[in-house]
Amino acid sequence: MSELFSEAILISILASTVRIMTPILFAAIGELVTQRAGIWNMGVEGTMLTGAFTAYIVASSTGSVWLAVWAAMASGALMGLLTAFMTATMRVDHFISGLGINLLAGGLTLYWFRIYIKGRPQPTFDGFDSVAIPGLSAIPWLGEILFTQRLLTYLAFAMVPVIWFLLYRTRWGLELRCLGENPKALDIKGINIVRRQYLAVMIGSVMTGLGGGFLMLGFSDRFLADITAGRGWLAVVAIIAGNWMPRGVLAAVLVFALLESIATHVQVLSLNVPHQIFLALPYLASILLLMGLRRKTNQPVKLGIPYFR
Amino acid sequence: MSSAATQPRTRLTIERRLNRNAGWTFTMYLSATLIGLALSALLLWTSGADVAKAFSALLKGAFGSQKAWIGTLSKATPLILTGLATVVAFRAQVWSIGQEGQVYAGAMGAYLGCLVFAGLPVALYLSLIILSGIIGGALLGTIAAVLKDRFDVNEIISTVMMNYLIVFLLSYLIGGGPWTEISSTVVYQQTGPVPDASQLPQLLGSKKLHLGFLFAMASAVVCYVLLEKTPLGYEIRALGYNPVALAYRGTNIGRTIIMVMAISGAIAGLAGVSEIFGTSHRLRSDTLYGLGYTGIIIGMIGGLRPLGTVVAGIIFGGLASGALYMKLLAKVPSALVPAMEGILMLTFLCAGVAAHYRLVRVGDGDV
Repeated sequence: MSELFSEAILISILASTVRIMTPILFAAIGELVTQRAGIWNMGVEGTMLTGAFTAYIVASSTGSVWLAVWAAMASGALMGLLTAFMTATMRVDHFISGLGINLLAGGLTLYWFRIYIKGRPQPTFDGFDSVAIPGLSAIPWLGEILFTQRLLTYLAFAMVPVIWFLLYRTRWGLELRCLGENPKALDIKGINIVRRQYLAVMIGSVMTGLGGGFLMLGFSDRFLADITAGRGWLAVVAIIAGNWMPRGVLAAVLVFALLESIATHVQVLSLNVPHQIFLALPYLASILLLMGLRRKTNQPVKLGIPYFR
Repeated sequence: MSSAATQPRTRLTIERRLNRNAGWTFTMYLSATLIGLALSALLLWTSGADVAKAFSALLKGAFGSQKAWIGTLSKATPLILTGLATVVAFRAQVWSIGQEGQVYAGAMGAYLGCLVFAGLPVALYLSLIILSGIIGGALLGTIAAVLKDRFDVNEIISTVMMNYLIVFLLSYLIGGGPWTEISSTVVYQQTGPVPDASQLPQLLGSKKLHLGFLFAMASAVVCYVLLEKTPLGYEIRALGYNPVALAYRGTNIGRTIIMVMAISGAIAGLAGVSEIFGTSHRLRSDTLYGLGYTGIIIGMIGGLRPLGTVVAGIIFGGLASGALYMKLLAKVPSALVPAMEGILMLTFLCAGVAAHYRLVRVGDGDV
């Protein structure tokens, strides 16, 4: 037991938990804005995959990780535009259009990836290095866990209070939440519903693309088909499990990341069980979380329901 | 028509149709197909491929000869089945995307049956294998239905999560677990070959087309009869249109959802059986990957109707089969096909919406 939970391993598990939280947190906190506006984006997985793929292409061909970050956000914006066109303009069922977007992203990324690596070994790149915050990183335990992370990880955590402030302390946020509860009221006030929906989808999709970009640049040096492996879906589950509140979403993301972090440490912990069990834990946990969830008091009333005047 | 000056100024506007018009609907779906193909051509062009050469190789490889047709129908077999599984669920507006996992569950159930029932007379052995595959798929579908009915868990999310879970289970069973192929020193993530007696009989003396194709055709007929001619089919369609009215009529909605998901899972499970015991003859995951997701596209493009799904399944089976030929001849990655499928699904979704609208010319005063 003592060896199992030795200090070094525990710190390593918690530090990588914080890192694993980053991409899911970007997506979840961004999509919270989208969902609060009544758009149920089921294409998060595909948007994240597109962000990761774009980041890979740019990072491995230019060598610049920051250019790759911007490109990932731009590709997220493009997917957001498509999502908004399908849901706000065409008013296709949100679930179905999201599925279509996931399938499109899966197919396109695989095709372009094959074209990109055709006839040569797969190019790699150098991802982000961690940046120790002076002073804070010297704190025992906490310094290593919280303050020796990549820059984007700090940004992801900073986005939680920023989004909270936008949603709950600004007029714009009040109107956005109203969009998910009673769009007719805004319509009568003369506010352009479709434009607001586009904006809400774009915020979510850009942050999801950024999350996908970090997934690529913060964890790996090469792209794989379906590299997101359900993390976009976990972001959607985190919003539901977090009862559509920023701090709840943060807590749910923490649970998923902790489980995944434990799974990646199974080898070190030398537990004598199939490693697949640990890999399966976040997905199992998400079903159990949703089963135990009776209270959905903050779910926007018009979530996923297209608005017709 | 003669001159704009003498007539009141008019402009085009879009308005919602009260009833659907067959000609307009057809025009919209035809446009969706053409736009989808044009976008796919653009995709080919951006990657520097010879568009005409690639498309002609794709067509030739899909439908160019009797041999090509057999390959096409063989590829279409599991896709028609997963497409039908989508039709049953989506007609009830149960948005299950669990077909992917149910294909795996069906394949695993059948493989279990193949181990347990070994030694029985061939006809009985085969029937029991197929039955255990169907049960495997149906069970996984039922879990999602119970989660939705009892625990109010969104079926999209629960089915996605189960798709991942089932892949991990299979990965354990064939990659180190009890079903791993022994004899070899390297672990290939597959089982050993299944016994000859358990393989589905081939049709027309070919090496590719097997009994599974007839199952797919029979399933299409069963789905048609089920949806259009039976009380349960009426309930399924009513669940899609107006669940509240259905509940007032005294129908147990939860039971209907469970039936829908069990049937949908059973059909998807059959796809897994047919792929393992008709084509690859051993249980491995790469031959099953993506069949369920493609089935969703096929069911949607088939208009959520059994006949349309069979036609769409054969077309997409042709693309999957012709893609190999295209890869050889035009040096285009076969991954073009999933990209094309995604594009076509989105254009068809837009066409489905546009079919409900029409362009009308109105005077300025009317607006």
